[in-house]
Amino acid sequence: MNLEQQLKLQAFLDGELPEREAREILSWTQRDGVAAALLAELKNTRQAMAKSEPHLSLPEAREFFWSKIEREIQRREPVAAIAPEVTLFTALRRWLLPAVAVSALVIAGMIAHFNVPKTAGATVADADTPTVETTLANSDATTYRDASEGTTLVWFSVAADDSSVPSKTPAAIN
Amino acid sequence: MNTKFFSATRLVCAALFFFLLAGASAHAADKPLKLEAQLILCSNDAPTNGRPVTPEIEKKLKRLPLKWQHYSVVSAQTFSVAKDESKPLVLGKSELAVKNLGGERVEVTLVGHGKITQSLRKGQMLVTNSNDDACLIVVRQLD
Repeated sequence: MNLEQQLKLQAFLDGELPEREAREILSWTQRDGVAAALLAELKNTRQAMAKSEPHLSLPEAREFFWSKIEREIQRREPVAAIAPEVTLFTALRRWLLPAVAVSALVIAGMIAHFNVPKTAGATVADADTPTVETTLANSDATTYRDASEGTTLVWFSVAADDSSVPSKTPAAIN
Repeated sequence: MNTKFFSATRLVCAALFFFLLAGASAHAADKPLKLEAQLILCSNDAPTNGRPVTPEIEKKLKRLPLKWQHYSVVSAQTFSVAKDESKPLVLGKSELAVKNLGGERVEVTLVGHGKITQSLRKGQMLVTNSNDDACLIVVRQLD
């Protein structure tokens, strides 16, 4: 028995075949034992399924039942669309915290600006360069800076004394 | 769209961090300076007496255009000077005053000669002449 014949048997059982074809199938099942056995099995299966299938019955009319579901859906949808209520504290916190942070940064910047020594704005080289003032009008000062060692030499000399004490003048600054 | 590039809490924490950092920096700039002034005798002969200068000072002095080769400590004074305050010192025949200008800057006044203003961070050294023969004065910040 091929698949087409099996489907014909199923259609016969479901009453979907024309009368002439149904008669042919009936006579075929009477002649063929295999076909008769399959038909009997299909009938049994159908009966078993029919018995186990739950029979639900609505307490009200079908249209009324679905309209209730529709109303319930419509009732719930607007609730989901409404934004959660924002409390005054939440709103304040949302804006207050960034405002406090920005204020703190500004204050920190101002403190840093006004507390850092005036020379901090200059380069390190400028800060390390000595400023020398001589006390006497006829005196002079020679400055030598060893940047790699961080050493500054400032040698004061009085013009009138230079000839008398040449030994005090650094040899390399003559 | 509810994208947050940074949270407000993190922003506040960062602000506080920078605030404290600025405060700490400002405090460090104003702390008293611990300094040392030395009167150093210079010669071209190996010193027979006197304490030789530390290798660090000797190395720095030998890099300067001075005609001497040997240096020994005649006297030394260690002192602390607060910001905007001045410390008078006498080293041999020289009188000097060291003023803390803040921010690791000092003003060294050598009485009768002049005034030197410059930074004096750790590791830096200021050398100037003295009223004593063949002597010089070294001012540096102590560790």
